[in-house]
Parts: sequence; C-alpha cells; structure tokens
Amino acid sequence: MELSLTEAQTSFRDDVIAFLNESLPEDIKETQKSGGHLTKEQHQRWHKILGDKGWSTPLWPEEHGGTGWSPVEYAIWDEECYRTGAPRVLPFSVSMLGPVLINFGNDEQRDRFLPGIRSGEDWWAQGFSEPGAGSDLASLKTTAVLEGDHYIVNGQKTWTTLGQHGDWIFCLVRTDANAAKPQTGISFILVDMKSPGVEVRPIITLDGSHEVNEVWFTDVKVPAENLVGQENMGWTYAKFLLQNERIGIAGIGQSKEQLVSLKRLAASEQKNGKPLVEDQSFRAKLSEVEIELRALDLTNKRMLVETERGMDPGPVSSMLKIRGSEVAQRLFELKMEASGLYALPFQPEAGDPGWNDELVGSLAQARSAPHYLNTRKISIFGGSNEIQRSIISKMMLGF
Amino acid sequence: MNFDYTEEQKMLVQSLERTLAKSYDFETYRAQLAEKASHDPALWASLAELGIMAMPLPEAAGGFDGNHTDIALISTELGRRLVPEPYVSNVVVAAYILGAVGGDAHGENLAAIGTGEKRFATGFYEPGERHNPLALNTKAEQSDGGWVLNGHKAVVLGADTAGDFIVSADAGGPSLFVVPAEADGVTVRKYQLLDGRGAADIVLNNVALGPDALLGDAGAAEEVILEAVDRGAAALVADSVGAIEEVIEMTKDYLRTRTQFGRPIGSFQVLAHRMVDLLIEYEQAKSMSMEASVEATNEDVNARKKAISAAKAKVGAVSRTFGKDSIQMHGGIGMTDEYALGAYVKRLLVNEMLFGDTDYHLDRYSSL
Repeated sequence: MELSLTEAQTSFRDDVIAFLNESLPEDIKETQKSGGHLTKEQHQRWHKILGDKGWSTPLWPEEHGGTGWSPVEYAIWDEECYRTGAPRVLPFSVSMLGPVLINFGNDEQRDRFLPGIRSGEDWWAQGFSEPGAGSDLASLKTTAVLEGDHYIVNGQKTWTTLGQHGDWIFCLVRTDANAAKPQTGISFILVDMKSPGVEVRPIITLDGSHEVNEVWFTDVKVPAENLVGQENMGWTYAKFLLQNERIGIAGIGQSKEQLVSLKRLAASEQKNGKPLVEDQSFRAKLSEVEIELRALDLTNKRMLVETERGMDPGPVSSMLKIRGSEVAQRLFELKMEASGLYALPFQPEAGDPGWNDELVGSLAQARSAPHYLNTRKISIFGGSNEIQRSIISKMMLGF
Repeated sequence: MNFDYTEEQKMLVQSLERTLAKSYDFETYRAQLAEKASHDPALWASLAELGIMAMPLPEAAGGFDGNHTDIALISTELGRRLVPEPYVSNVVVAAYILGAVGGDAHGENLAAIGTGEKRFATGFYEPGERHNPLALNTKAEQSDGGWVLNGHKAVVLGADTAGDFIVSADAGGPSLFVVPAEADGVTVRKYQLLDGRGAADIVLNNVALGPDALLGDAGAAEEVILEAVDRGAAALVADSVGAIEEVIEMTKDYLRTRTQFGRPIGSFQVLAHRMVDLLIEYEQAKSMSMEASVEATNEDVNARKKAISAAKAKVGAVSRTFGKDSIQMHGGIGMTDEYALGAYVKRLLVNEMLFGDTDYHLDRYSSL
C-alpha cells in the first residue's frame, strides 16, 4: 500500500500549479479567495482561458476536447484550483449537458453546441426542478407539445442557478401526459432563453444573494431539432447526467481551502487574551472537522482509484455527497462561530464589485454568516441528503 | 411549584398579540427591511401604550414593577412576530442599569423609557474581545472634574436609534458612563443585523463628559454589568422560544401539506422522527427559558449565573438545530427570502450570539 502520489502524479500537479500561477487573473483570484461573488464576466474570462488551454472540459472523451486525465489527476486539478483561488467552471454546461450531448445527442447538436461549452461563450442553465417537483423530480409538469416542426413549451422551472446570465437552458419537459409511469413521458430539450415567452424572475435567498431564479415558459416555440435523443427518453438521460456528477461531488478541494481559511480566521480572533485557535474547546471542534475531512479525502481517493480500474463504485457517490456536504457545512458554521459578534451585521454584498459601504468587522467576518446560511443549500440540491440515503439503502439493503 | 402565568400576565400577552396581529405581520417586516429600518415610531408608540415599556420599571418611575417573567412573555411575542424594535436593549438592559446605579439623577430618564420617549443602548463588547462583557480597552480618564472617554464598542444592540448610550469603560476597573449619541467625538456606524434588528459600532474619540456621566462608583460596575448581560440574555432566550414556536408551526404545516411521491412528506418516517426530535428539544428549551426568567433577578448571584448560562447555552444549541433542520425539511423554499422561515432562522442566530454565545455560557457554567 502506498498512499502518496506517484512520480507521474506529482509532476502532473507541478504542471497544474505552474499553469494556474501563470494564467489566473489577479482580480478573479482575489474574489474567489475571499469568498466574494464572481461576475458573469469573471466566470467567462476564466472559462475562456481554460478553453484556450484545452482544459475546460477535462473529463470529456478526448475526441471531443477532453484532456485524458485520470480521475485522480482530475482530483488533483480540483484541489489545486481551490488552493490557488481559481474558480471552478460551472457544472451546468461542462459536467451536465456536455456528456449528455456526447452520448445521446446527434452530430449536428454536437457541432453546434460543444464549441460554445468548451469556450464558455454560451452560458447554460439547468431547468429540472419545479415548484411541485423537487425530490420527486419525475412529477414535473412543464409540457412540450409538438406542433409541426416546433415544440410549444409551457410551465415553470425553479432554483435555476445563475439563470439570470443564461443564453440557453436544458430542460426536462413532459411530452407524454398519458405515459404508464411519470418517468416515461419526459423529454430532454434545449431552449434558447432569448425566445419569446421565456421569463427569468430572481429568487433572493436568505443570505441576501441572487443566485437562483424561476424560469417561466409561456407558449415558447422550440425547434424540434432541439430535442436531445429520443422523445420520452429524457429521464434516462437525466439519470445519466446526475451520475456524471460523481467525480468532485465530495467537494474536497473546496473544503480543504475552507479549512485553511478557517484556521487563518481563528488565528486572528482573540479569546481570553490568546488566539481562538489555541482555545481548547474551539481546537476540539477544529480537529474533529479536520479529521472528518482527512477521512473523506482518502475515501474519495480510494473510490477514484477503483473507478480508474473500471470497478463499479456502487452507492459511494451518494455517500460522498452526504458526507461532503456535511463537512462543508460544518466548516462554514465554524467560520461563523469564529467570527464572534462581527458575524451579525448583515452585509451580504460586502466586498463585491460596486459595493461602496463602509465594512463592519473584517471581510471574512462579514461574509461568514451569509456563507453559513447559503451553504444550507448543499444538503438540499442535486438530490437532497434524504434522497441520497434512500438511494444507498435501496442499493445496499434492498429497500 | 407551579408553572402558571398570572391572569394579569395572560391579559398582557393577549393585548400584545392583538396589537401585533393588527399592525405587524411578515409583509410589514419585509417592507421595513427593504427600507433598512429597524424602528417604526408608530409601532413603538402603540407598544408603549400597552405598557410593555413601563412593565419592568419601578413604580417611582411610573412603572409597574414587573418581574422577569413579564419580560419573558413580552419577548416571546416580539420574537414570534420578528419585531425588530429595540425592546431588550432599552427596556431590559439599559433600564435595569439606570434603575440599579443611576440614582435620582436618572429618574426622569427611566420614566421616559417607560413612556417610549427615550431610547438608550448599552455597549459592553469590544472588537477582538469576542463575547467578553468585561472587555475594558475603552478608557475613561478624569479631566477638569469630568471624564474623557476613548475606545470602541462593538455591535451595540439598538444603538442605531438610541439617543443615549451607556458604555462600559476602564476607570480603575469596570465603570459605566452615559454618553449622548450627539456628543462631540462620538462616531456611530449604524447597520442592521442578520434579522433586521438595528445595531451600531460606537467609536469614542476624546469624548468629554461631565462628572454626572458616571453611573455608580468608578471601578465598581462589574456586578452590574454581569447582571445586565444576564437579564438581556434571559430576555433573548424567551425571544428565541417565540421564534422557535413559529418555526414549529411552519414546519409542521409544511410536512402536512407538501406532497412528493404522492404523499405528504411528513409521512416519511425520516422526516417525522426528525420533527419529533425537534419537538423534544423545544420542550427542553422552553423549560430552561422559564427557569431563566425566574432566576434572572435572583440575589444569589451564582444561582443566577448558573441558570442563565444553562438557558443561554441550551437554547442556543437548540436554536442552531432548529435553524438547520427546519430549512432542510422545507427544502429549497426554506432558503428563500420571501418565505418567513429564513427570517426566523436569522433571528435565532442573532439571539444565539448576543449577550454571550453558546461557548461563552458553557465555559461560564462549568466555571461556577
């Protein structure tokens, strides 16, 4: 048994670090490192730099622009990005839609959409959840009715992350209301968000940020050629898409970076005349989460190595999602606790571009409670932790 | 032993409930937050009319000589309705200090708190000192028969709308001073807390005050400060109980009415049991809040401290659990600003961290 990186993996990491140091714009690094909100322009500028390097879609098949990295190499990339302060490319186009088009789309769709995904020029949003269809996604009600060479789409999607920037949205829609099972009447369709009848309405979350949106469709005409794969097969593609999230689902890179910044914060706060990081009860909490993260890191790598050897990882991705979300939430919670009273002034936009108020406390303190509140979402989205537990119990216990 | 409220107390709660039902709902709260306001003069006046400001004050100041159970009942209703008004900072903490060490000189001020005409805010905490109420980097020096103050008070509840501050400062030991908000050298950086209540950082730069600014004796304020903090903590614990009761109602309602997979989500055992665990925690928290309201004025200082720290630590931990679990059980909707749950979660967080957070009170409890 050898748990350290191989020579090849170490040299890969060195290449990654060299590239990041050379290519990451200072302003993007600063926003990311301090936990601020990136602008659309910042997201897209970094995506384009990665696209030019050929690193924006590392996990895709090489003939479509993948890098050929192994899962372990990808994990190294992920960690180094967080450590350096490089934003992660948003998952909607690269990790979700891309693989679906590659596997189930046609050549025309691949030629039309993959270049814009690689370069980041097209901003893709995800249209899955609806007000009445959250954990029970298959009960979705948005309809698409074929009339001539167009589908007419009506309905409402919700929790559309950064949909306010969206050029396109990939949606699950109901195309057969009379299907035997709800899952069998669903199709996967691509909608130009500039089409008449598409309306994006902001949802402000309790941390005061505008990240998610409602997207309304009123008689939206979508060319039939925008259907991906076969009609009524959308549920199969959606399941494939969600499974693809496995690598990186534990959020190891982000949590490691959060641990570092938590320790930095705890070193700068004083309790009873000495740094908080030396306080016995705080240290116990810190060690507990650090050990949990250490275990998670190894569990994650163990799974990645098995995947590399072609073994079916089973329900491990659900396990990683559950524990990964819990560790991340705990880290943000401890940052809020470490901030003391200065976690309390509500400054949701502190430090963002265009924010001109006078800061109360430090930036890390100001952002601590909004981050704590915002990260409640990570045990809810992408299949809540309750749903993940049901997946595990079905696979491992049979019920 | 009995856990009953008196008829007068029940009537007080009813009239407060009626007033708030009429004039303060979640939409009012949202509108107020949108305007970045933590205080509404009309609401404040109607609350004063009910007598809740005068309730804890001595009869000599026009008060009703109420006890801390009265304050707890009032605070619970304010928490239940998310009312951001500076009740606790002013009527509970500042009024206690003025009554305890203000002497005759502050009789009129006390009476003015009772009528709602004056608001005081009290600053103990300081930057870099976390939850230590005896932080004394603020210095008071004698000069020309008066005092000159220099220092910085952090996150002072209610200081955004107060006309006068009471601040602790080192004058040969912990001491308390009254500082008019308008005095030369006072800088007030106002803001709203997570839940919309108002606060401010107060910076004192060579603030010259007369001899009468000192409350009580110089260097002798430690016990008064600690009791003031404990009374504030007891009131916020009761405030949290009101907020928790509302969270319970919202979550129970959601579990019954939200359907997924063709059935109410509350029929899934994992959610039903999680809710039941919360209900158990609530009963525990409520018991501790009741004890805190009785013990807040106990002359046996150790007994008081122990009960307050127990309540603050227990209710703080329960509040955190409520915040996390109620959002999780609601799913995405619980994350939105438009839905009231998030506002309660934030109110609970603020209550948890003011007047000593959970760790502070656990430490203190174990040291007693």
